[in-house]
Amino acid sequence: MSGPSRAALLTFARRPSESFTLANGLQVVVLPSHRAPIVTQVVIYKVGGADEVFGQTGVAHFLEHMMFKGTATVGPGEFSRIVSRSGGRDNAYTDFDVTGYHQTIAADRLEMVMRMEADRMANLRLAEKDLTTERLVVLEERRMRTDNVPSSLLDEAAREQLFGRHRPYGMPVVGYVDDVKKLSVGDLGAFYRKHYAPNNAVLIVAGDTTPEAVRVLAERHYGPLARRPVGPRRRPSDGGKDLPQRVIRADARVVETRWDRDYLAPSYRMGETQHAHALSVLSWLLGSSETSRLWRALVVEARLALSASASYGGASLGLTSFGFDVQPAHGTTVAAIEAAVGDQMKKLLDDGVTPEEVERAQNRMLAQTVYSQDSLASGPRLYGAILSTGGTVAEVDDWPKNIAAVTPAAVLAAARHVWRDDGAVTSLLTPAEGAR
Amino acid sequence: MKLRQAVASLLALVLSALPLAAAGAVDIKEVTTPLGIKAWLVEDKSVPVVTMSFAFDGGSASDPEGQKGVTSLMAILLTDGAGALPAPAFKQRSEDNEVWIGFGASVDRVSGTLRVLSASRDEGFELLRLALTEPRFDDDMIEQRRAQAISSLDQSEQRPGAVATRALMGAMFAGHPYATETSGLRDSLKTLTAAEIKARAATLLSRTGLIVAAVGDIGEAEFARQLDRVFGGLPAGPARPELPDWTPPARGRSIAIERPVPQSTLQIAMPGVSRNDPDWYAAFVMNHILGGGGLTSRLAAEVREKRGLAYGVSSGLRNYRKASLLVISTATANEKVADTLRVIRAEVARLRTDGVTEQELADAKTYLIGALPVSLDSSATIAALLYSMQVDGLPRDYLAKRAKLLGAVTAADVRRAARRLLRDDVAFTVVVGKPVELPIEP
Repeated sequence: MSGPSRAALLTFARRPSESFTLANGLQVVVLPSHRAPIVTQVVIYKVGGADEVFGQTGVAHFLEHMMFKGTATVGPGEFSRIVSRSGGRDNAYTDFDVTGYHQTIAADRLEMVMRMEADRMANLRLAEKDLTTERLVVLEERRMRTDNVPSSLLDEAAREQLFGRHRPYGMPVVGYVDDVKKLSVGDLGAFYRKHYAPNNAVLIVAGDTTPEAVRVLAERHYGPLARRPVGPRRRPSDGGKDLPQRVIRADARVVETRWDRDYLAPSYRMGETQHAHALSVLSWLLGSSETSRLWRALVVEARLALSASASYGGASLGLTSFGFDVQPAHGTTVAAIEAAVGDQMKKLLDDGVTPEEVERAQNRMLAQTVYSQDSLASGPRLYGAILSTGGTVAEVDDWPKNIAAVTPAAVLAAARHVWRDDGAVTSLLTPAEGAR
Repeated sequence: MKLRQAVASLLALVLSALPLAAAGAVDIKEVTTPLGIKAWLVEDKSVPVVTMSFAFDGGSASDPEGQKGVTSLMAILLTDGAGALPAPAFKQRSEDNEVWIGFGASVDRVSGTLRVLSASRDEGFELLRLALTEPRFDDDMIEQRRAQAISSLDQSEQRPGAVATRALMGAMFAGHPYATETSGLRDSLKTLTAAEIKARAATLLSRTGLIVAAVGDIGEAEFARQLDRVFGGLPAGPARPELPDWTPPARGRSIAIERPVPQSTLQIAMPGVSRNDPDWYAAFVMNHILGGGGLTSRLAAEVREKRGLAYGVSSGLRNYRKASLLVISTATANEKVADTLRVIRAEVARLRTDGVTEQELADAKTYLIGALPVSLDSSATIAALLYSMQVDGLPRDYLAKRAKLLGAVTAADVRRAARRLLRDDVAFTVVVGKPVELPIEP
């Protein structure tokens, strides 16, 4: 194997960062990059769809939309208009464990966006009129992402089985339609007051600035905001009942069968967390590209599939999943796919993995982190995902080292731990007339 | 830190209204190699990465008769084995060196990207040379990619957005090669032969009309050497034959296509304005006010913010070598299709009749002038910009002139562009879904 040395990859994979905490509990991370006079500000709140209860699903995401509707001093829609007038761009996202707001703008406008972001951290105005219209927008968003897309509907049903109905991660972030229709100004206001506070947020600034400059500005604008009591975040330590389960969706809009299987898996935070880094390496060597085991076996050699991949994401406050995703070739039965995937899993469990394939996967993962430094957006996203799920800056910084330390034996142990029948949901998307 | 200075000077134009002469030129170098290959380069050492974007003249619009999809399939197959390396070995060697190479086709071009860590530059350029000059086109890979292409075409038939785009292109460009999508047709994909794919590569992969842009950790001298290595072995070839001119249809119409979905996709297209038309900047500003830029446009205000009819609504100018379009698109619940169309048409008519306010004009200009430098936050976006400037035939010092050109647009210019472009009588409307009321004719 040639290519860049491990030492070089490890050196470049580490991103320069500095962090500190204001007196009111706001955590601040600065990721300096001086290639262009541009900055990205991200404020993440440690709250997301998995912090909701059934009956109020979608409230975190709906609130994210309402955060653009103004405060006492900034009118509805003005936030984005002001950013836009400076040539900047802004947006927001909601996931199971995190809600994030971000702007990218000329470096000398950092204070302006900080002032406005701090303002809506404490002074959001929720008006009935705006809520009524925005609810329709949210329902259109759900139609676009979920109701119009058969695979999204199947994913929603599969998560209900894997993580449990009406439980965290088993309920969709965008919310169930009936819930979104019921959410009131009171519900959103209560959620806002409960979770939006400096001591439940992280400010990340990437780009052309310094930790000293960010500290001064953060003290000035976020510093005066009062700390508020924030309750503990709860996540179940187990998954859905009566696993394994099989979820089938036959849909007139589907022309090709798709086969998926997800196993409940530990994250960096929940379950047997010592396996998390090894599970990442496992997913890369098994199913991240066309040289991975699954693709080679199912697509290239047996020609049973058009694509085959595996995936794992450890940045979760609760349990997460290790997934397989296969698109069968025309004429391949689902039974043949299941047998072929089963063979690959058995082979790996029987024979383990080679030091060479582990090293290849690790090098590619490290190179990926070097490449990711080429963009201002990726750093905040990465730190945001870890810091919103109970992790630390040191953990993000040590990630390359921890990935590099994973051994073939650890990969095997992780596979043994996770690939258990009583932790699996198999899902099948088929044309309306049934599985081929 | 050359890139930094370049972006800083662009931002200075926006934010402090410096005299334009003080902005200075952006440091895009033109490199000409010993073999005569020309490329643009921005050297930047802040991240140990090199990104190169390049394109060959000629795309799917010149697919030979009966071979629709051959250019796209050929482009995908370029990374499926080259020289002595069959596909798995080629991919393994790319991965082991952290090299990423990808190709794709559009109606006008075959384009490619190389991304490499600077430590393995040499290997990256070597693999790219192999892919371009000694592609294998092995039968097993042709069969694999053919099956994947047909499957993805079949699946796209069920995605309202893809169906709408296909119908719109088919109607607007009826009788012109642009009417067929780059991905091709099922029947022709099925019958394409290895010989046809190889012939397509031999025709298109030529130094004539080649466009190259690179950004990152590489100096001029080495870049020139690598360019000759990668592209020097390609034939010079004759210039590509011109595509036929496009005559916009004299009358528009509405097309409804049923799909069993709760939300319908709407697209409205009109003839646009070419990149070198004197009205381009006025049309660019007008489009931004109508439906560009996220939540701040008129369409976003009326369709989304005031009425909640859609999650996303936008308009955009699209330019092809032989055609230009203005396309408005959104998606709304089946029950609200007629309402949404009514609101969009009313906004289009209002802009055409009344023009824009001075405040709207000023806001649009500061955004459009400032957004470009703010978007230059990665070597990939910078390489993409250098690439598109060459596609559009713009000079290297264009970035310094752009703010002035946009700044000169007046409300009267915008109104003229609106009157010229926003014409109901030539608009094509496509609705894909299960609308409760059929869309009313304009």
